[in-house]
Formats: sequence, structure tokens, C-alpha cells
Amino acid sequence: MPETVLCGVHLKNPVIAASGTFGFAAEYGQFFDVGRLGAVCTKGLTLRPRQGNSGVRVWETTGGILNSVGLQNPGIPAFLEQELPRMRTLGTVIIANVGGADQAEFVEGVRLLSDAEGIDIIELNISCPNVERGGATFSATCDSARAVVAAVRPVCHKPLMVKLSPDAEDIAVVARTCEEAGADALSLVNSFRGMAIDIRARRPVFDNVTAGLAGPCIKPIALRMVWEVTHAVHIPVVGIGGISTWEDAAEFLLAGAKAVGVGTATLVRPTAMLDIIDGLERFGAAALAPL
Amino acid sequence: MTTAPAYAEDAPVLAQERVAQDIYLLTVAARGNGAPGQFYLVRAWDRDPLLSRPLSMYAAAKDSVSFLYQVRGRGTGLLSRCKPGDCLTLLGPLGHGFRLADLRGRVAIVTGGIGIAPMRALAEQLLPQHVTLIAGFRSTPFALGDFEQLGVPVQLATEDGCAGTRGLCTDLFDPGQFDSVAACGPAPMMARVAGMCAAAQVPCQVSLEARMACGVGACLVCACATVQGNRRVCTDGPVFDATEVVWHA
Repeated sequence: MPETVLCGVHLKNPVIAASGTFGFAAEYGQFFDVGRLGAVCTKGLTLRPRQGNSGVRVWETTGGILNSVGLQNPGIPAFLEQELPRMRTLGTVIIANVGGADQAEFVEGVRLLSDAEGIDIIELNISCPNVERGGATFSATCDSARAVVAAVRPVCHKPLMVKLSPDAEDIAVVARTCEEAGADALSLVNSFRGMAIDIRARRPVFDNVTAGLAGPCIKPIALRMVWEVTHAVHIPVVGIGGISTWEDAAEFLLAGAKAVGVGTATLVRPTAMLDIIDGLERFGAAALAPL
Repeated sequence: MTTAPAYAEDAPVLAQERVAQDIYLLTVAARGNGAPGQFYLVRAWDRDPLLSRPLSMYAAAKDSVSFLYQVRGRGTGLLSRCKPGDCLTLLGPLGHGFRLADLRGRVAIVTGGIGIAPMRALAEQLLPQHVTLIAGFRSTPFALGDFEQLGVPVQLATEDGCAGTRGLCTDLFDPGQFDSVAACGPAPMMARVAGMCAAAQVPCQVSLEARMACGVGACLVCACATVQGNRRVCTDGPVFDATEVVWHA
């Protein structure tokens, strides 16, 4: 199997359950051995518990889904107490995805996760499209991205991966800025800000008006962005965006990604990641070398 | 009672019957080990649409599961065109169904439209208890014969008056005559039933519907507002105690 090393952490294969679609992994443990995955990423965590967004939270579009969950989560202290011990028994690498409404919440959240035993990598979610404060606004400009990465860096004693929004003016520039500010790795892309309108009710489908677009329809754009970023930075990149098949995953690896995140595909087919792992294995490590 | 869900990509369709205007009864070969109120994620296509459709279990036998569903859009439209021998992808049984131990004494099953879907299995399970179905439909009723066959008395209301009493199921429902209630239907109807039951101090369970993605509690897109905050329709429900749910006006 094509093993990979992500900022010093050994992954048995390059397939990561992307944040948000895999809960805290136990949900899928009833269908397959989650320990076969290269890593699992938690749902977006924040220091304080969040109820998430009201109204419709999911809407299908051609080749994709819009979602507006809004970082619903039990809060980092409850995660550490109730979910992490169970995740640690899975036999795979654990990535904790952390968000925040402001810089102080990011710092405090990262501090708690960094001190916790059993978390291998911290993924800084500066790119959630579905929260009013924090989220994607941090990833939209270089100044805000630099500020939040630099602020959490001193309290983060674990590998720090920064998850980028595709809704930046130039994602390669934001990526370089995060590298300079101390990121050990980057993951991209988060979902694109999209929208749907209920034409009969004559109102936006989502209470927040906009929502995050993910799924196969974003793959070519995500791949282009991963290509641009892997050519702009020296730190490892995790490619995410509409990966449904092993061939999709292979494209991201050939574009220079060290590993790939799979999200929506799991909602389509619970065992999609296992097929991707098997397909990559058959294709072989040599054929997956970056272009 | 909840059994472990299974994932199958090769569940053959045994039968598909159109029972009313846009209502179908689909029977699939699968282990019928679900409990009343549980549901399955069902798909009859590869990747378009992306998501599966959550359908309540209508009836279960040892080697088959039936779904009564309404064609609402493209996914259910595709399902309705499946023929015996076609293969479906099934994930289930999922969720928490009705708490049978709390449905005691004289039970009213109150339904609006396709909300009757999870109730046949429930009625069957509750027999020989005293069970009454109070069903409302916009127009032509469906599925009532299956309840009559079980010996369940049916009270019927239709909005256009084409059968039974003209009006809503809630016009016929008197919580004072029952010891416990199970309800499923459009949100305003369930809110009304919940309110009537609360006023009469009769315990009531409601089966909620939501747009779903994962169906297993991981993605959190099917949240419903409850007195304990947002909960997952797919795994915390779909059946909730009516007093738990925060009903929007």
C-alpha cells in the first residue's frame, strides 16, 4: 500500500476521512473497520459547544450537495472526555479539526487539543463557510490568515495543518502566508460558498442564505487549486474536494498532494474510502508519484 | 428493540405497486429485522442524485421489507420506476423507532398523508392491544385496507371530502379517548396533535421527517430542535417524545 508521512506522522495509506462527514468515526465503525483508513478527521470542534444553524441544512444540486451545519459540536472539553477515548481505540491516526468564532477561541481550543493525549495532528479550520464570525473570513485574506496561524502556533505542540477556503482571491498566496506563519501542512479545499433559492416560496433555501458546496462537481476546481498550492509551498498538502473514486484520489496525488481527504463520497456510499484505498493499492505507489 | 444495520448494494426488488396517484408500495428482498418506526436509506441509482432517500419501513417479513412512499422529486421518481428484479442499495434498519413499552392501553395512531407509512408495522406489533387509526388525506386515501385487514378500526378524514369526514385528522382526534398516541404527518399536523396530547396529558410519540445525508448520525444535516438542543432525526429519532420537540409556529 502506498504509505505516506504527513508532517512526521505515519499514515498506513493516504486516505483520510474528511472533517464533517465522518462524525467522530464511531458512527461508521458499525459498517467497516475504520482502522483501515489512513486517518480520520473529527467533525469541526470549537472551544464552546455550538448548536449549529437553523433551518434546512442540506440541499442536493447536480453533482454536489450544499450544506449548512454551522459547526454543531459538543465543545472541545466534551469531545476530549466522551469521544476521544473511543476514537483512540480505532487504530488509525486522529486529526482534530478546530474552528472558532474569534482568535481567542482558536487559541484556547488549540491549546486544549494540543495537550490531549492521542491526537496526532491538529487541523485549523479557518475556512468554514457556514458560520457568521470566524470560519472562512480568516482564510479569505492573507492578513487574517497570518494572524490566526501565528497566534495558535506557540500553543500548538503537535503538527499544525491549516485548512484553506477555496473562496480566497489567490489560494496559493494564502497558502504561502500560512506556511510563513508556521503551518506544518495545508489541507484544501473546504467547501465553496454556494446558494439555492426555493422558487415557489420565493426565498433562499438556507436561513444563512449561503451554504457550502461539496461533492464531485467541485473536483476539477479543487484539483487545480491543489496543483497551484503544491507548486507554491514546501510543506505537505492534503488534497480534498469531490473525490469519489480511486482515480479521483490518484489525480490529487499526482498533483502533488501527500494524502487525500474524502467527504461527500462517504455519504453516497459508506464504504467508498475502502474502495479508494484498494484502487490506489492496485495502481501502485510508483504510479502515484507526483508529476 | 434495535438491530444492527446492514449495507447491501444488491437487494432485489420483489414487487412495486402504485397504490394511489403518486404513492407506491415497494417490496425488496432483505432481512426484515427492523422495528416499527425505523427507516432505511434507499437508492436505485449510482451517483445522480448523490444522496439516498430515507424511507420508513412499512412492513417487514422474514426475507423482505416494504416501503410505502410518495414521489416527491427525482430520487423517489427513479425509485417508482424500479421493477421486480432491479437491484437497490439499502442501508438499514436505521434510527430509533417507536418505544412500544410506552404505547399502552388504548392507542391512537394519528396520521396525515404519507405519514401513514411507518404505522402499519407499528399497528401489527401493538396488536392485540386496542389500536385505532385516525388518518387524514388531502384527497383519495390509501393503505387503509392494510389496517382493516389487521382488524384495526379506521377513522378517516379527507380535505376535499371525497371519502370519510371532510376535514383534517385532528378534527376527528380526541386525545381524551386514548391512553397513548403515535403520530406522523406534516409538521403542522404533528404540532397540533402534540399540543392536544399535552393538554390532555396523554403521552405521544411522533415520527419526524428530515432531509438526510449519512443516515447514521455523522453529518448532522438532519437536525431537529428539541428541548435539549438540536438533535439528529436519523439516530436520536426519527421517533421522539412529542414533549421533547420544539414545534415551530
